[in-house]
Amino acid sequence: MPKSSTHPRHFIIVGVLVAIVTLVLYVVLERALPMPAQASLEALTIDWLFGLHMLVLSFLFALVVVFMVYSIVVFRRREGDDTDGEHIEGSTSIEIAWTVIPLILVVIFAFIGFKTLNDITRQDPNSVVIKAHAQQWQWQFEYEGGVISDTLVVPLQHRVHIELDSKDVIHSFFVSEFRVKQDAVPGMVTHVDFTPIMSTEEYLAIADRKGEEMKVRCAELCGLSHWSMMAPVRVVPENEFTAWLHREMVKVNPALTKADLSKTSN
Amino acid sequence: MSLMKLGLVRGLIGEVVGALAGVFVVMLIRAATGYESAYSAEPCWVIGLLSGSIGFLIGVGALTDWSKWWVGQETPMHHGPPVGQPAWTRYFGVDYNHKVIGIQYGVTGFIMLMIGGGFALLFRTELARSGLQFLQPATYNTVMSMHGWAALFSILIGVGGMANYIVPLMLGAEDMAFPRLNAFAYWINVPAIISLLASTYYGWDGGWTVYPPLSLRGGAGYQFVFIAIFLLGFSSILGSLNIIATIIRMRPPGMSLFRMPIFCWAVMATSFLQLTATQFIAQAFLMLSVSRALGMGFFDPAKGGDPILFQHLFWFYSHPAVYVFVLPGLGIISEILPVFCRKPLFGYRWVALSSVGIALVGFIVWGHHMFTSGYAPYLRVWFMISTLLVAVPTGVKFFSWLGTMWGGKLTFPTPMLFVLGAISVFLLGGLSGPVLATVASDQPLQDSYFVLGHFHATIFGGFVFPFFAAIYYWYPKITGRMYNETMGKIHFWIMTPAFWVMSLGQMTAGTMGMRRRIADYEQGLAGFVNPHLGTIEVIHMAITLSAFVIAFGILLMIYNLFHSAEMGKVAGSNPWRSRSPEWQIPSPIPEHSYARPITVVGEPYDYGLPGSYVTMAGAAAGDD
Ligand SMILES: [Cu+2]
Ligand SMILES: [Cu+2]
Repeated sequence: MPKSSTHPRHFIIVGVLVAIVTLVLYVVLERALPMPAQASLEALTIDWLFGLHMLVLSFLFALVVVFMVYSIVVFRRREGDDTDGEHIEGSTSIEIAWTVIPLILVVIFAFIGFKTLNDITRQDPNSVVIKAHAQQWQWQFEYEGGVISDTLVVPLQHRVHIELDSKDVIHSFFVSEFRVKQDAVPGMVTHVDFTPIMSTEEYLAIADRKGEEMKVRCAELCGLSHWSMMAPVRVVPENEFTAWLHREMVKVNPALTKADLSKTSN
Repeated sequence: MSLMKLGLVRGLIGEVVGALAGVFVVMLIRAATGYESAYSAEPCWVIGLLSGSIGFLIGVGALTDWSKWWVGQETPMHHGPPVGQPAWTRYFGVDYNHKVIGIQYGVTGFIMLMIGGGFALLFRTELARSGLQFLQPATYNTVMSMHGWAALFSILIGVGGMANYIVPLMLGAEDMAFPRLNAFAYWINVPAIISLLASTYYGWDGGWTVYPPLSLRGGAGYQFVFIAIFLLGFSSILGSLNIIATIIRMRPPGMSLFRMPIFCWAVMATSFLQLTATQFIAQAFLMLSVSRALGMGFFDPAKGGDPILFQHLFWFYSHPAVYVFVLPGLGIISEILPVFCRKPLFGYRWVALSSVGIALVGFIVWGHHMFTSGYAPYLRVWFMISTLLVAVPTGVKFFSWLGTMWGGKLTFPTPMLFVLGAISVFLLGGLSGPVLATVASDQPLQDSYFVLGHFHATIFGGFVFPFFAAIYYWYPKITGRMYNETMGKIHFWIMTPAFWVMSLGQMTAGTMGMRRRIADYEQGLAGFVNPHLGTIEVIHMAITLSAFVIAFGILLMIYNLFHSAEMGKVAGSNPWRSRSPEWQIPSPIPEHSYARPITVVGEPYDYGLPGSYVTMAGAAAGDD
């Protein structure tokens, strides 16, 4: 090993090690931190951003840890050596470099963060509007025509706009397969948008689902039975959704005619 | 010796008497004003706890000197243990020596760490398997909520311990600027702890964040918690005031701000945060308390209030609070690293100013806890950008630590191991932050186990590991004896990997969709199986097992510390060959730390250069 700590050979070795460790870490993290099935368009955007974060995380982690472990191994004190290390107090140009480079990274991520946020909150005037009423400790979903359902039924490949309210305390609407989460706050209406891209049928067909469907789970601590505050989610093709909605609307109001129905729904 | 000689015992009696008196007065008023029953838990105990706390402070003697001043009596400063009593008794009563108060803080913080950890072990045992085993949801919610606040008490009090013990020593000062205030600020923590622990009797279920309207319902335990935090906040504000005054006014000749030991910079930044932010949580909790007690509607939409307002107030304190938790720990890392690298701290000024930078940015990022809360959507963009900015000063710290290690002559006794462990763990905590800072990727992870993993890595890396490093590092200075090195290393080597498993396990569970704060989870979480790690139950089991391993490591540390105080080999005044002033005086430190005043003549971390940081005056001067 070269005697001087600023010899280029140190940095070449560290550089190669950082590259290797970054790759290994990225592969490991991808396996260790999997997301549930991608059942909405938002899931694609969010998982892409998550992956980008993991890549940068792997690199920065490798950078710090490799430098650290290298120092621990190479610059450890030898037996019987009681002298001090090199007297280096710092370097203004290096400090500026490692202030400015992260700053650039921050600007890039702020930009990407802004774009992805716009992407997942996209509004569509043709959305199916569903009101979700939260209360301790259950969900209720309200569709047009006064249809009330305990199951969240949504159409495949169609933008859905959920309007949330709460009767009592704060709850949170969370479907991990859609990657959406939004608090339901008493006294106000909040909303969240998503586009389902995987039907319940497809979802259940994936080998490791064990026959369990997607669920809305309350993600904001709301008291005694917070843990079990869930409602099933069913994603069905659009024509099935319309048929279901019409059936339910007629149940609510038997006077509805075929003509009324074709007017009201999308 | 009679037990009544111990301030703590008198204080506890004062607490009971005061509390009963308060309860009695409320019952009297209720009876007189025609309530059906004179006793009602909540109003009685709100007043009872407040009067009990005053009773404690009177009993313990924290108000004695001030009340004497009031009637014009002199109160000369007493040094050393109480007259005619064994030396250990001074730790159980009011004592004005900062070294005693530092130990009182430190030990109290450690006890709270064990209590907070104990609550965690309880519910981790329940969560090891899917299904409800022995904790029913109501108990689970209380235990989980208690874990949060007990652990935060431990951190705030532990930070107080490090600052109180170390800062005056580093400044070569006789004591803190206001010794009586210092003692008061410590002792007010005790009624705070009593209130917090007593809350378990009635129970409360809001988690440490106690969001209304949930916290406006539920058990009377909430009021106990509000009062506990109110008192703790009192301690934070007074303590930080004292620290700032000490650092600004009591530095020795020659010690300009940029020649202070770096730990003082970290503590000063922390103290400014505490001094200016704590009021907000006090206010928020006061508003909750009066909402419950008097039916005021700050946060109740039915009465024109706004639940989200509370979240703003809460996080305006609680985000900076996280920096209060970690900045001193990062200061410990920067302080200890040069000693065991035998090299100057790389970029001292940058490290010092990065603490200030983190503290300042910390005030404008609180909204990242509320991305899904429903506040005005455009605010999310601003809070995303400001939050990402935290990475810059934090990065400066990491890179400067690397620069310090590079080209040094590293040795690895236990404190250094904990410092390196702290860096690696804090790195994990820091790097898992940006994922939560960008709104889109935060959406599935908010309120999930991923946040838990992130937060615990930050707190362990920024507080627990550095706190342990500090204990091992200054142990020979405090006791005059060396801890057992082998046992210290074993502690490190079992605790660190266990922590990594726990923290990564939490993150894995989080990405798989595990919500936080749930009493039970579905086996395999809706059938979702991690193809590489198995079902979520496997991951939960791993988290629980590592929690127990960590607890075992800490027990080993306690044994080591007690055992070595008697049996350890004599340490000498400067076993680490440090340049810092406190290592130039005998161990254990005499009652008056510095027999002669010090003068700063060099830089704090000039390892590798001849000469020293401080010199001591030739003749004894200024004693008493
Ligand atoms: Cu809920
Ligand atoms: Cu925060």
